[in-house]
Amino acid sequence: MKLIELKEVSKSFGKNGILQDVSMIIEEGDLWGIIGRSGSGKTTLLNLIAGFLEPTSGEVLHSFKVTEAPKSLHANLHKIKDQIGYAPQHNSFYPKLTVMENLLHFGQLYNLPKDILQNNIKSLMKATELIGHENKLAEYLSGGMQKRLDIACSLVHKPRILVLDEPTADLDPVLQKDIMNFLTQVNKQGVTLVIASHHLNLMEKVCNKVAIVHNGKVQSNGSLEEIRRPFLKDNFTISLVPGDDKERLISVLKTLPIEKIIDRQNHIIIHPKNIAQTITGLLTMIQDENLYLNDLNISRPSLDEIFEKITKMK
Amino acid sequence: MKTLWLLTKKNLKLLVRSKTSALIVLFAPLFIILLLGLSYSSSSNYGLNIGIYASSFTGDVESLMSSLQEQEFTIVKYETSIEDCVEDIQGGYIHTCVSLPESLAVESNEQKEVLFYVDPSKINLVWVVQETLGEKFNLKSQEISKELSGNLLSAVSDAKSKLEEQGTQLSSAKEKSTAASSTAQEISQQLNSLDLTVPTSSYDQQLIITFKDTVSPKIKSSLSEVKDAVQTVQASDLADKSAILSSLSGVENKLKSLDTLIAGGAVVNGTNTTTVPSSGFLGTLALLEEELVGTKTKLTAAATAVGSTSSGLSSATENLQQSVSALENAQQRVTEMKANFDAQKVTDAKVLSAPLITKIETVGQKSSYLNYMFPALLVLVVMFTSLLLGTTLVMMEKNSPAFFRNYFLPLRKGTFVMSTYLTTLVITSVQILVILAVSAVFLKDNMVQLLPVAGVLLLSSSVFSFMGMGIGYAFRSEETGTLASISAGSLLLFVSGIVLPIETISPTIRSIASFNPFVISESIIREVFLFNAGFSGVWSGLATLAGYAVGLFTIILIAEYLVHKHFISGFMKSRHLKHRQQEKRDKNNV
Repeated sequence: MKLIELKEVSKSFGKNGILQDVSMIIEEGDLWGIIGRSGSGKTTLLNLIAGFLEPTSGEVLHSFKVTEAPKSLHANLHKIKDQIGYAPQHNSFYPKLTVMENLLHFGQLYNLPKDILQNNIKSLMKATELIGHENKLAEYLSGGMQKRLDIACSLVHKPRILVLDEPTADLDPVLQKDIMNFLTQVNKQGVTLVIASHHLNLMEKVCNKVAIVHNGKVQSNGSLEEIRRPFLKDNFTISLVPGDDKERLISVLKTLPIEKIIDRQNHIIIHPKNIAQTITGLLTMIQDENLYLNDLNISRPSLDEIFEKITKMK
Repeated sequence: MKTLWLLTKKNLKLLVRSKTSALIVLFAPLFIILLLGLSYSSSSNYGLNIGIYASSFTGDVESLMSSLQEQEFTIVKYETSIEDCVEDIQGGYIHTCVSLPESLAVESNEQKEVLFYVDPSKINLVWVVQETLGEKFNLKSQEISKELSGNLLSAVSDAKSKLEEQGTQLSSAKEKSTAASSTAQEISQQLNSLDLTVPTSSYDQQLIITFKDTVSPKIKSSLSEVKDAVQTVQASDLADKSAILSSLSGVENKLKSLDTLIAGGAVVNGTNTTTVPSSGFLGTLALLEEELVGTKTKLTAAATAVGSTSSGLSSATENLQQSVSALENAQQRVTEMKANFDAQKVTDAKVLSAPLITKIETVGQKSSYLNYMFPALLVLVVMFTSLLLGTTLVMMEKNSPAFFRNYFLPLRKGTFVMSTYLTTLVITSVQILVILAVSAVFLKDNMVQLLPVAGVLLLSSSVFSFMGMGIGYAFRSEETGTLASISAGSLLLFVSGIVLPIETISPTIRSIASFNPFVISESIIREVFLFNAGFSGVWSGLATLAGYAVGLFTIILIAEYLVHKHFISGFMKSRHLKHRQQEKRDKNNV
């Protein structure tokens, strides 16, 4: 079900154009990843999706109420605030309130019935593993806990869509992974997620849809497969772990249609010009030259690589 | 030292680059000084509204009023009673009431009293009133004193000229009187030298002379005849010779006794002995004769003396007549001078030196200075507390990490403003309660007024809270916001009449300053607290404060709306600016 639709949306601040002609559809249950370099317009896009910003041109429509026709998200934000959760890049809670006080404070402001609010808080405390820290001042929590509390504050009213801006920024890899796992769980519970991040490997693992923002434009958006498709033909990589004679292997490889050979310490990465020709030629050469390989892997292009390709192209 | 300078330079850069910080840190004091300079550099006179009451507005009273008006005092006439004027002082419309006598002309030895009615709670205004009006009345008093002294001095001068004129005449009269005096003295001496002692004996001189001439010779002849008879008898042989001789002897003795009496000596008459003067009767007669001769001589000498003094007495009489004439003239002049002096109605030195005296009466019940200062102190505390609380709360919210999240809460924009206001109000209410509770210990007489005072303070607190909140929305950092609040409070305080009387500032700023919420609040509390004013007396002030509160609330709502609208824009702008700067740096590094 379509929740939010962006139609040729542009946004500029004064003379500075930040986003141009962005069109995308966010459906219920999606886990969108908005990726891009710093300053590419990710946060602006998020704020447009959250209804916080009004587009300079184009439309951002919401369809939270099935019975009604899509309406301008920004203009009707006051009516649908309880449907949206927002977790900005930096923690957005009261450091001088305890964990429980923060959750209660934000939950009560959404006018939820007491029992529902208590249930929400209970389940969130469990999901965020904050049980045992209820009465601790938020400022004394660890970085990971603070981020979890922040997300919990954004979820306390059970929104249908949660917008997160760089939820893993400034966290160590373990905490990044924890947070992403937690968000996956949230998504599985039916909450649509839109996450902006530049941790592409994490995004690749959890997101089912991705929008690549570069130079104020969404260069590519859709499912990972859809994004990857244009790059599949020429963007496979072949990783070889050579046997005894590494030098001979490299000299043989140079006769094949290969764009680039990267010699790493214990393996060789090949960027073929034509994957089919290269693989055929490689297998023939191995047989003919009697070369021995310890390992051979053929990889699809990663999101990181696709992103690099796109940003280099544009 | 280098490090210290580097750090200082960094601090200065940070201050200057933060526009609001630079504005408030560098320019707020300058702005305050400029404003105060404009306010107090005025050379014009005080903007005092003076109420004048007199039972009759005579010419000199009107003249005094005109001279006060020339000094740009606003004069309000009260013709019915001074109480009307006093009520207006309590209402704050009039600064001072002056009760004047019917006329300022001093016509007796009683000083004219001018009463000033001032509001003692405006302590710093009292001295201005004393200084300005006292000076004016002192001038008037000096003017009257000068006129009275002039009158007296002209009388004295007139007397002097008259005395000088009479001086020569009196000198001449003196000389003539001296001459008359010496003449009279001489006459007196001459008369004194006359022996006009009158003999005390009384006698018939002729009889004595006759007696002397006839009796004594007859006695002598009788005695001689007796002696002859004796001799004749003795020579005869008569039988009774002895008897005849005895009788003749008896006659002889009696004649001798008589002769002795006349010539002097003791005379025995039978058993009685009569004593006559030793000189005898004839001696006495001779003495009398001598006395009479002497008396005649004396009287002759007296007649001569009287004759000689007659001319002297005539001269003295003439002199004395001239003196009398001069003295009569002098007496007339003295009478004139007396009349002139009597015409001077004011002769008392105290009245002459200060014909007008001024007295200061305080309006309202006599209270301690704490009572007088109490309204200002209360508003001062409430103002700074509310201003700083308003600013701090807004700053706290703005700078709180949760600020961003609040935009996604399903709340009206005004709710946050109201919550901030309510927080301020709760804290201020507690403070007001504490202050009033503590004050109640010292101000037992005014306990009843404390409740309405608390109400007015809450309204004032609302205005100052909104003002503080407005400042909070206008500034970014808590420090500059706080500084701006303190500056705003100081400015309101400086043009409130607490530090310096508001009446002393320039008219333009004064007219603006009269809208100062501090002034309005303080005025209302003073009226309620000191003069027991009811709602009807202070409703306009309360309405103004309420108007301020509503106006400021509206402005804050607009500010909140604008902040909301531009928050993200500003946030995004700065974010993209940072990224562009970072990209530039990266390119340069490459």
